[in-house]
Amino acid sequence: MTTMTERNMKIRVTRYRPEQDDKPWDQEFEVPFNRDSSILEILGYIKDNLEPSLSYRWSCRMAICGSCGFMINGEPKLGCKTFIRDYVDAGEIHIASLDNFPIERDLVADISGFVEKLETIKPYIIREEEKPLEDGEYLQTPEELEKFKQFSQCINCGLCYAACPQFGRNPEFLGPAALALAFRYNQDGRDEGNQERMPFLNAEEGVWSCTFVGYCSEVCPKHVDPAAAINQGKLASNIDYGLNLVGLAGGKK
Amino acid sequence: MNRKPYIRKQSPTWWVNKPFYRFYMLREASSVPVFLYGLFLLWGLLSLSQGEASFAAWMEMAGSPASSIFHVIVLAAALLHAYTWFQLTPKIVVLRLGKFRVPDQWVMAAHYLIFVIVSAVIIGSSIN
Amino acid sequence: MKQFQRSHEPIAWSLFGAGGMVVAFIIPALVLVSGLILPGMESSAVFGSLLGFAQGWIGKVFIFITISLTLYHTVHRIYHGLHDLHIKGNNTLMLVLFYGSATLLSILCFAWLLVI
Repeated sequence: MTTMTERNMKIRVTRYRPEQDDKPWDQEFEVPFNRDSSILEILGYIKDNLEPSLSYRWSCRMAICGSCGFMINGEPKLGCKTFIRDYVDAGEIHIASLDNFPIERDLVADISGFVEKLETIKPYIIREEEKPLEDGEYLQTPEELEKFKQFSQCINCGLCYAACPQFGRNPEFLGPAALALAFRYNQDGRDEGNQERMPFLNAEEGVWSCTFVGYCSEVCPKHVDPAAAINQGKLASNIDYGLNLVGLAGGKK
Repeated sequence: MNRKPYIRKQSPTWWVNKPFYRFYMLREASSVPVFLYGLFLLWGLLSLSQGEASFAAWMEMAGSPASSIFHVIVLAAALLHAYTWFQLTPKIVVLRLGKFRVPDQWVMAAHYLIFVIVSAVIIGSSIN
Repeated sequence: MKQFQRSHEPIAWSLFGAGGMVVAFIIPALVLVSGLILPGMESSAVFGSLLGFAQGWIGKVFIFITISLTLYHTVHRIYHGLHDLHIKGNNTLMLVLFYGSATLLSILCFAWLLVI
């Protein structure tokens, strides 16, 4: 098997060790790479050969687990899906922890707030009455699936939160992934929990913090298009507001 | 547990260094010239209601060089608005006719078509 | 669990959305008219036609919708734009300043259309 002649790339990693550091600082490395090298692989090289204390999350290395989100030259990307060969012109790669989240250590972001938001919006099928097992499975047409399938592809990587300036400004904002997930369930024909999720959409911290910057959808590695979900959510919230005014909205006021 | 998460607050110039954010701010900024144009139109309405002399004065102001520059800026802003608006609207307005989901591009194209027609009507009826 | 309050943003957003359509479809052509076409014409002739247009109910509705919705749309964007620029102020004051002025100007527009 032939490989391209190995070259070196300059890597600058923003480090932060809470027990020693008051604030983040940059550490420089030079790493060999070839045409297949990903950010994840060179991070592994650094940890194995140059700096054993470097901390970062990773797992599947195939863009499905959502663990390896970093800021790469200022853009939120997955480490497993970002390749050194694309930065040859840039000459240097700067790797930092995901924007808009507190830095736990090195490249590990504190995403607990994000996880809490996902849990808050009731991300499960809600039925007024559960169908008994003997009645069989819920049937769904391709058209019914199309209404929410795209929004169900989220791998919870958090890149959209790093991208969103409204979340950056206000950490109380439920954010792209959580709102897209809420919308995903509202659009699922099997779900009857719309009214339980509307309060989340209707709040200031819900869809109304969004100003359709659209960067979330731009960076999403699974093409979920959370911006579309949120803004369709605005329409739904708007209608809900009107219905509520005339006393026709179900659930909470 | 000795945790000490480092919190980075958003800087007021968060948008300056990224082209995507800069374009977003430009899009939002397009509202300023258009707002001023709204005031300009309102002023024209007031002049109209005050009679021929007042309206003649407004028309003269509208034809001045400063006004021409203003109009160029407003036109650019309004066109930027229309371009970005037509790009975003299909994301919000999802049309389904039975099983068929109307593609985003069709919705966008329909908006451009309406834009051309309405513009033609406005310009056409004013050339009289 | 954290309590989420219903926001009143939908009122502003509805006006913003309608205004956005007006600005996109109507304003560019109007700018060409007021900037290029009208200045080349004779003022009393324009006055006559425009007055006639504004006296009819279609004209009144068109003028009101155009001016009022343009103002509400742009005022909404500017208000949120200030937030993006980290420009802070008393929120109630800002709301009154922006949406209040759009409302006031819309009322004036309505009043002036009535007397024409």
